[in-house]
Amino acid sequence: MYLDLHTHSVSSDDSRANVEQYVKWIGVLRKKGHQIDGFVLTEHRKFDFDKDYSELGSENDVLILKGSELDTDLGHFLVYGVTEQLTQQVDFSDVDMDALKLIEIAENTGAVAIPAHPGRFGIGLTEFTGNGRDFSALRAAERFNGSNRPGEQERAEEFISQLGLRGTGGSDAHLVSAIGKCMTRFDGDIGSELDLVAQLKTGRFEPVWLDDTKQEQA
Amino acid sequence: MASAVYYDDVDLGDELPSMERQVSDYEVVEFLNIARIGEAKENRFTSAEAAKSEGLPEAIVPGAMNIAIMSTLITSWSPTVTLRKLDVVFRGMVLHNRPIKLTGLITDKDIVDGSPQLECDVVMENEEGTPLVIGKATVELPVRE
Repeated sequence: MYLDLHTHSVSSDDSRANVEQYVKWIGVLRKKGHQIDGFVLTEHRKFDFDKDYSELGSENDVLILKGSELDTDLGHFLVYGVTEQLTQQVDFSDVDMDALKLIEIAENTGAVAIPAHPGRFGIGLTEFTGNGRDFSALRAAERFNGSNRPGEQERAEEFISQLGLRGTGGSDAHLVSAIGKCMTRFDGDIGSELDLVAQLKTGRFEPVWLDDTKQEQA
Repeated sequence: MASAVYYDDVDLGDELPSMERQVSDYEVVEFLNIARIGEAKENRFTSAEAAKSEGLPEAIVPGAMNIAIMSTLITSWSPTVTLRKLDVVFRGMVLHNRPIKLTGLITDKDIVDGSPQLECDVVMENEEGTPLVIGKATVELPVRE
């Protein structure tokens, strides 16, 4: 199944897309023959416990999950499987939190934390690789990011290849029409955040570009 | 002149006619004079040296002027269009005398309180395709009689 693992709604201050419009736009993509089964809302520095999109999702056959994108001392990290236990141990508003500690706490609370857009100038993990930090705890990294600028994709590819990591894909959408630009294809079925974490731990996934989902269908 | 576009004629996924242009030093000065922005004659909007002293690579186009330019993507589309709202996010610096491209895409269409409205994603990008300003426009089009 195909999931966009990195999206932002108006709950993030720099996005101009609302969730209902994302769902409507997925209908447009499907009419054009693209495959997209759902997306994960990864709002900046927060987790919206109070928001429930299950009814909207089921009415439109779109899986809508929630995660978070956090600022750390090693750049931005995407967190999947956020629990109250995790939010009690990690201050999501801390823009300089210890990334390696975040990975550890995430693992201990049933979540997974991976670097977002590692090739991004200024806020990607590749900016912080020269300081002797140990990245062996990383399970994966975001390999395809739909908002990459020139040169950033290559930096991400090189970093992920050097560390031998699995790669995910996410659009990093901040506008409606950007959703699904790249996604992650999973072998197994996913119906919840728990399933997503389980699938990320299996390593049976790969990043895909939207256009490739059309070719595979044809 | 652009031809008249009606609410009935458009659908989700339709692209607005794109625009390409550059913003000259003269245009920035004219805009600042009209908008009465900035007291000093030499500032980051008008002088490369002043911009560099603030850590910028060159003189930049004022944000308000970028919004004005973005609005022309909508208003030049059709004489029938009314721009109701333009909400943007600045993601990069817009430099003088460099090619920029403006694109728009219809992402939603609905009758809101009796008003036939569209939502459009709008993007201003540089020649490398890097988005500099992104946003959402709410526009109104008439329904055919």
